[in-house]
Amino acid sequence: MSEVVVIGAGLGGLMAACELAGAGLPVRLISQGEGSLSLSNGTVDLLGYAPDLVWDPLSRINQIAPPHPYQVIGSDNVRRAVAALTSHLPDGYLVGQASQNQLVPTALGAWRPTALLPASLAPPQPKDQSRWLIVGFDRVKDFYPKLVAANLSRTKIPGGGRVTAIPVRIDLPDNPGLPGGDVSAMTVARAFDQPDFAAAVGRQLAQAAGQAEADAIGVPAVLGTAGHDAWRQVSQAAGRPVFEIGLVPPSPPGFRLNQLLLARARQLGVRLATGARVTGFQANQGRIVQLTTDAAGHGQTYEPTAVVYFPGGFESGAIAMDSTYNLAETLFDLPLAGLAPVSQLISPSYSPNQTIFQVGVQTDKAMRPLTDGGEPVYTNLYAGGGLLAGAIRWTEQSGEGIVLGSAMAAVRGLLDGIGQDLEPKLAAAHGRRTQLSSSHPGQTPNWTDGAP
Amino acid sequence: MNLSPTLAGHALARASLDACVKCGICETRCPVMAATPLFPGPKFVGPQAERFRQGLSVDRSLDYCSGCGTCTLVCPQGVKIAELNAQARAVMKAHHMPLRDRLLGRTVLMGKVMSPVAPLANAVLRLGPVRALADSVVGVARQAPLPVASVQSLGRWLAQRGRSRANGTEVSGPDDQTGCEPDAVGRESGAAKRGQVVFFHGCAGAYFEVETSIKAIEVLEYLGFEVLVPAQGCCGLAQQSNGLFKAASKSVLKLSRALRSAGPDLTIVSASGSCTGMLKHEARQIMGVDDPELADVSYRVRDIMEFLAELDAQGELPHSFQPVDATVPYHAPCQLKGQAMGLPALEVLSLIPGLTVTESGQACCGMAGTYGLKKEKYAIAQKVGAPVFEVFRQAGASLGLCDTETCRWQLRQGTAMRIEHPVALVHQAYGLGTCLATD
Ligand SMILES: Cc1cc2nc3c(=O)[nH]c(=O)nc-3n(C[C@H](O)[C@H](O)[C@H](O)COP(=O)(O)OP(=O)(O)OC[C@H]3O[C@@H](n4cnc5c(N)ncnc54)[C@H](O)[C@@H]3O)c2cc1C
Ligand code: SF4
Ligand code: SF4
Repeated sequence: MSEVVVIGAGLGGLMAACELAGAGLPVRLISQGEGSLSLSNGTVDLLGYAPDLVWDPLSRINQIAPPHPYQVIGSDNVRRAVAALTSHLPDGYLVGQASQNQLVPTALGAWRPTALLPASLAPPQPKDQSRWLIVGFDRVKDFYPKLVAANLSRTKIPGGGRVTAIPVRIDLPDNPGLPGGDVSAMTVARAFDQPDFAAAVGRQLAQAAGQAEADAIGVPAVLGTAGHDAWRQVSQAAGRPVFEIGLVPPSPPGFRLNQLLLARARQLGVRLATGARVTGFQANQGRIVQLTTDAAGHGQTYEPTAVVYFPGGFESGAIAMDSTYNLAETLFDLPLAGLAPVSQLISPSYSPNQTIFQVGVQTDKAMRPLTDGGEPVYTNLYAGGGLLAGAIRWTEQSGEGIVLGSAMAAVRGLLDGIGQDLEPKLAAAHGRRTQLSSSHPGQTPNWTDGAP
Repeated sequence: MNLSPTLAGHALARASLDACVKCGICETRCPVMAATPLFPGPKFVGPQAERFRQGLSVDRSLDYCSGCGTCTLVCPQGVKIAELNAQARAVMKAHHMPLRDRLLGRTVLMGKVMSPVAPLANAVLRLGPVRALADSVVGVARQAPLPVASVQSLGRWLAQRGRSRANGTEVSGPDDQTGCEPDAVGRESGAAKRGQVVFFHGCAGAYFEVETSIKAIEVLEYLGFEVLVPAQGCCGLAQQSNGLFKAASKSVLKLSRALRSAGPDLTIVSASGSCTGMLKHEARQIMGVDDPELADVSYRVRDIMEFLAELDAQGELPHSFQPVDATVPYHAPCQLKGQAMGLPALEVLSLIPGLTVTESGQACCGMAGTYGLKKEKYAIAQKVGAPVFEVFRQAGASLGLCDTETCRWQLRQGTAMRIEHPVALVHQAYGLGTCLATD
């Protein structure tokens, strides 16, 4: 059987590629660059606000007001997708549940809802009078322990009461990889990849927490670039629960997740072509039969059985506006929904709620983009993720849910479409927790993971 | 030199810098930034510093960029970061180009001088005092891996083979100490059932890594192609990466003419992954050479593994591979990945029964052309390469694979393993005489 081509290496493309390869299909993953995973904090947001705070995302997904991508995706696909994602990651890597949101602190000391999250980012259940030490590290930018602690301490927690957050700054131990001056979160995280360094910081934390009589410790999310080894080492030496608080992009927890999914895709035999933008295609009788990239020299052509298109949205150039305010999907020229005069799409006020972000592609239940007449544009083209119309993902905190759910719906639609009953195989693949041979020392953690 | 923004390649790269959204993804992947605090990283020296350059040189830290191109590959916004860096480096070094960097650019000269006197040249290069002198006077790190010249150049092998074919005797193939008996039929066929291809050997393929060239030619002939090897010079890659754009442009244009002289429209195949990259990408995108002959060659050239993968996609690659029961580590060089064609070696090798290939998954081995040879960069290059060395050692094999020459030198030194081009395993699996992996 000839290959399925997945376009885009964000969370959506990676998930779809892993699922299809897990079902036994030959898969090629083409991406111009990396997706937005390493810009995120690795949390799995399904639905945070609708528009009020949501506690039970899974059951709220089917009730959301139209038009919204969740209407075609449905909660069942989101539930399956979360289970699939978990199965592609080390045991215990993600904690939490699709059916219940929890609150986590941000780098501004606000509480925000999310459904699942990397274990290292999960604080203990906040209780009235919990004493949390909020630690800043010298040289780690964009994290102000006093600000975080003050905001946390003054915000009521669910069930009443407030945590008592105590700010402190500590100097990191000298390390040749950690110069003075302007360093990025990733540079600090690399120092934590060294077990001695991680343990030394853990001991500093133990001392500071002892003095403050704190029962948990929040630190900026710089505990290593690979898996949760560094977090475990720090926690062990600190002798109390340690949790990371997400930083501005690029964020080490998002980077770790990206690494894990890339390694998983490699392990499943996905053929990666990175740095190539798909710039052209040919269709025949309503099917995409050829794709062309801008690879150096002569470009590359591929003849896929089916195409899974997860190119992101405006942020990645998949939807663009020209100088006459015309909006277009840039590769297949897919019909866009949500169009309106520009004055209605872009508000002059500085607000994240710009209607323009609702513009996107509409699909059927199999995630095939539709013409204005409601027919699939191409019968073997499946699309989702940031490309979909109808949601401002960062406002409602639904980004990962829409991406994952649409990837699952596209995979199932595709398997149906090529007339192969591969779903049992897919289910079996999820059950089979293969051990990842460590082909990336220093980057891929031990494939079984758990809380310290 | 003053690179004016009107220079084709520079204008293109510069035009991309406004697309930078400062996401920092390039920084998370730059292998040099991860290895040394001396380098402020791709976002900083690329799109950010470029705003201030106006064709002038504004920062020296730029020189630590190895030119591996990883940043450009991972940037989601299409910013030509590595290309901008290379162009700015050429400006920076225009007036004080170190003698060492000029010498390292002269690959053909090195090969021509060393090859006829290979045993002697190799012995001299092994001498401590000679390397110490090179280190302090020229700036080539004394521990850096230098090539071992082959006693027999590719030109001599081809000539000798031509002569013996004329009088009916076949010369032996690559000089394999472990040599398996060749059992494939048709290797001497000469009856080209599939037409002609042009072989581009590159400097290293002519003088240092001659065995790889021979094996590639034998695989092509086994598949039924007539292989033409026109007289050809250097592609100028080492000059380009050392900022000698003028000399490099001259080299690449001369080479384009030479390769085209073999015949119009013929596919050009090469086993030199980085020189192929120069023809496809660097000469045009970095130096901005806008020339119809280069454009034509750039369109026609294929990496050998890419060529085999293309044949396979068309159902034209015989799967008559003998099993190779081994697990072999593989590193895809940065200059190969820069061609954005994926990893064709993995695809082709996956067809060989019994063979398991583990990919390093790392961006760069640290060598990045000639970067790792330089005294002030040597330690950084070793640190960049360390994770690749580690994957190779952990594989528990005696053989490793990598598509480009200088990277093989780096990996040989870093792992003490035998490191070959992936085509060598194809040669073995087709029963053409190589016997590398047997464990
Ligand atoms: C800065 C930022 C902050 C966000 N914050 C939140 C948040 O707090 N909560 C939340 O729920 N959501 C948030 N979101 C939204 C959410 O992260 C995204 O919706 C989601 O990650 C999109 O994933 P994706 O796989 O669809 O696309 P992306 O991650 O954007 O990946 C797109 C991929 O496609 C590739 N590509 C595009 N076109 C081509 C082409 N023609 N050829 C080849 N490759 C191509 C790109 O290179 C890239 O690899 C945020 C998004 C951004 C950008
Ligand atoms: S990856 Fe691209 S867009 Fe992001 S900071 Fe680097 S150059 Fe800018
Ligand atoms: S070319 Fe390589 S070394 Fe240079 S900035 Fe880019 S990633 Fe870093």
